[in-house]
Amino acid sequence: MFRVGGTVTVMDPTQATREVFWNIEYTWLVYVLMVPTLAVFGWGFWLKVRRWRSGQPALRFDRPGERLQLFLRNAVGQGRTIKRRYAGVFHSLVYTGFIVLFLATTVVAIHHDTPLHIMKGHFYLIFQSLIVDIFGLFVLVGVALAAIRRWISKPKLLVYTDEASWILITIFVMALTGFMIEGWRIAVTDDPWAAWSPIGNLFALGSDPWMTDTAMQRGHVIIWWFHLVVAFGWIAWVPFSKMSHVFTAPLNIFTANLDGYGGSLKTIDFETAERFGINHLGDFTWKDLLDFDACTECGRCTDVCPANTVGKSLSPRDIILDLQGLMHKRGDELLGSRAGNGNGDGGNGSDELLPIIDQKTAVSPEALFACTTCAACMEACPVHIEQMPKIVDARRYLVMEEADFPEGMMDMMNSLESRQHPFAGTQFSRVDWTEGLDIDVMAEMDDPHEAEVLMWVGCGGALVERNRNTVRATAKLLKKAGVKFAILGREESCTGDPARRVGNEFLFEMLAKGNVETMQRYGVRKVVTSCPHCFNSFRNEYPHFGGSYEVYHHTQFLDELLEQGRLDGNGAGGRSNGSSTITFHDPCYLGRHNGEYDAPRNLLAQVGGARQVEMERSRNTSFCCGGGGGMAFVDEPPDQRVNQERAQEAVDTGADVVAVGCPFCATMLDDGVNARRGERDVQVRDVAELLWDAVGESEEAAP
Amino acid sequence: MRVLVCLKQILDPDVPARDFQIDPEARAAKRGGANLVTNIFCENAVETALQFREAAGGDVKITALCYGESSAEDCLRKAMAMTVDEACLVERDGNTNPDAAAVGRVLAAAIRRLEQDGGPFDAVLVGRESGDWGVGQTGGVLAEELGRPALGFVESLQPGNGSVTLRRQTDVGIEVAEAEPPFLVTITNNEDNVPRIPKTRDVMMSYRKPLQKLGLADLELDSEEVRAGSSIFEVEEIFIPADEVECELAEGDTLDERVDQLAKRIHEVVASIG
Ligand code: SF4
Ligand code: SF4
Repeated sequence: MFRVGGTVTVMDPTQATREVFWNIEYTWLVYVLMVPTLAVFGWGFWLKVRRWRSGQPALRFDRPGERLQLFLRNAVGQGRTIKRRYAGVFHSLVYTGFIVLFLATTVVAIHHDTPLHIMKGHFYLIFQSLIVDIFGLFVLVGVALAAIRRWISKPKLLVYTDEASWILITIFVMALTGFMIEGWRIAVTDDPWAAWSPIGNLFALGSDPWMTDTAMQRGHVIIWWFHLVVAFGWIAWVPFSKMSHVFTAPLNIFTANLDGYGGSLKTIDFETAERFGINHLGDFTWKDLLDFDACTECGRCTDVCPANTVGKSLSPRDIILDLQGLMHKRGDELLGSRAGNGNGDGGNGSDELLPIIDQKTAVSPEALFACTTCAACMEACPVHIEQMPKIVDARRYLVMEEADFPEGMMDMMNSLESRQHPFAGTQFSRVDWTEGLDIDVMAEMDDPHEAEVLMWVGCGGALVERNRNTVRATAKLLKKAGVKFAILGREESCTGDPARRVGNEFLFEMLAKGNVETMQRYGVRKVVTSCPHCFNSFRNEYPHFGGSYEVYHHTQFLDELLEQGRLDGNGAGGRSNGSSTITFHDPCYLGRHNGEYDAPRNLLAQVGGARQVEMERSRNTSFCCGGGGGMAFVDEPPDQRVNQERAQEAVDTGADVVAVGCPFCATMLDDGVNARRGERDVQVRDVAELLWDAVGESEEAAP
Repeated sequence: MRVLVCLKQILDPDVPARDFQIDPEARAAKRGGANLVTNIFCENAVETALQFREAAGGDVKITALCYGESSAEDCLRKAMAMTVDEACLVERDGNTNPDAAAVGRVLAAAIRRLEQDGGPFDAVLVGRESGDWGVGQTGGVLAEELGRPALGFVESLQPGNGSVTLRRQTDVGIEVAEAEPPFLVTITNNEDNVPRIPKTRDVMMSYRKPLQKLGLADLELDSEEVRAGSSIFEVEEIFIPADEVECELAEGDTLDERVDQLAKRIHEVVASIG
């Protein structure tokens, strides 16, 4: 279909093309303007790279294959960005639009500036005209959607800066003026291929009735140069605005931590470290500094943060952005402040420079000590920024250099130091729970190697009344399945997880080394534990201290036994315990930190007659019980309790049993559910307890 | 200025009830699974001394002294991690539970020895009592041995002009006293002298601070009497009181009946105890 009134000529699509620089004189000016544009662009990024390079070393270019996969999935494929529907849609529109428009510009450049005249024929019609027009429209629509969100619906998670608004405006103007000049060129030249550029043609058709050719031709020149100046200005601006994420985000994803959140804390070499923990930008690694520059201000991290959700001052987004701001403001000092934090090579000491912990910013001690280390922020971040390890780095500084931390954590650490468990004032010893069960203790065995598995009880299992039934159930199930296992009894010490999360790396290291030594003495190779925190330490952290074991969470181990047919309901199938609906609360350190979501659910399927329902936030988006990161030992203000927020969600599913797989979750949710269940009878029970009820010996099955 | 703080290592008073065992032969508590910790009032004393030094603006040297087994080194290290300057351990040899008179004599001899080497101690701080036996005599006996004036239940020391201002807790309120060194005080706890958690750097440094070890022979105290460790009293018997609970429910169909029944039983029980 050709425009009415156009000259009808014989059309050969293989010859289709258009004139580059139609109607434009002084085209050399384009190249002249391009020089400062690219210079500023390059300079801006060079400044960034230089800043990152002043950070401490970090190994983030190893395993290129895995990195490439991650890059393809979450950078190119936008795997995480699209998890939020609205933002995912508009970002995809703009993102794909930009890629296509960039390709189109490259095609023009090749066509015009090299002997390869590729912009013709079907390729010109289908790609350079039709597809480019469609994706140009994507950009317009995407930006409009983003604008509606930013200016009209205004969700809490965004940061409302002028910069962000101007970014939307410039992109919109670029796309719009692009269509204007295309439209006027089509109209004035009576482009026979107009139909292949539907949006541009729309502009042509819209202008034709009321504009003369001369007016359009003049307008075309003006808008063409305007478009060019805006585009070049925008390019030069990119490295200095959050648009730099176009480049920093993919780089950040490529260099992301591949080892899971559970292994994301750094070790400290106490022999050589000049400072413990971080209170100076110069003590961060280059990857940490890159993180600050990669932030897109999307706010998803803060949106999912349990501490923030219940109204505490912690906001991972603002921590990243405040540190980014500090880095930009004090960049040169940063370059001069390279100092040792144990993995660097020493420097000129920067104690007065760049303190990052500051009561007046988002990096306040109060905010830092509200973090449960749940890693929800890291899981939500579309560009793989590592917020939680930075929070722990700063805590380390407060704890080890300043001895400054909340009171509850102080008692916990005192207890860890003198009693090797965090539960000051417990009524129980580490072996009380074994009463009547006849369980082997390694130290009392003739040959401890006979035990194939070490059952690691954990402080939370042995010393907290509420959880002793869980470890009893686990032990009874292991016995029923004929597993040869033993415990360390009094020789068990805390794995050190609470110390490490709070920031007392020194204490953690002491405890870890002590445990590794004990376990070495008994030749331990396989460990099963009902505490996800112990599980995580053994799996991801003890290898640094010479302790490598085959580690199972009790739900994983029991799931294997079930699969092997070593556990079943004596042929009767799983008995009912009277509950009709069970909902499982994923512990952060089992799920997000270590990727196990299915084992506990498989076990719950054994509970006769009960149906499983999921909470809205489950599996990798599970919402913390509030007990991680040493927070189980801190008294939260009554109106800011993470456990109650979670308990409410569990209660709202209508389940009469909230299943847990962690002693901390158990106590936190017990408290929370009791506060929120109202008149209903809702119980919090460990998966092992439920499984024992379902398949254990019936005479012992009653709780 | 020199300040001395005396420390005692004791069985963890927070030991779970079931883990607390007694050796009737030795007439003492058994170590069992319990941990060893610094007596809390002694830690309050360390904290009080540190705060005194901070208020005085430095130039106060703090020494920690302990009479105990070699494991008590941990208590002294911890005190040094809290930034006490130096420590001395007099290793015990003999009775594991010497009484206050014996301990006072040993500590006095050690103090004299330390003073010979490093000059007199202006203030000696002792915890008000220990969390194991709770006799609360050591401070007094030690003051007597040293021939110093002493004040008990002090909660803070403030530097004054050539003297020290002491706040002490009494039954009727706080008493403020001026003291001219040398003196001895026993320290009690208040909300301000909660022992600090050491900084990690100081924990590491504590291993480089001087810890002197002395034996009873070094102090010329090698007598049977001191080693036996009991000169003013002897423990005759030690046991864990059995607390038996008998539970009885007041019965009756209505609340009134149950209340009547309850009142009646209370009368009977009281009468039976006489
Ligand atoms: S780890 Fe959890 S609590 Fe900590 S900042 Fe991230 S989301 Fe918030
Ligand atoms: S850190 Fe990540 S999730 Fe948080 S605002 Fe920045 S880009 Fe978004």
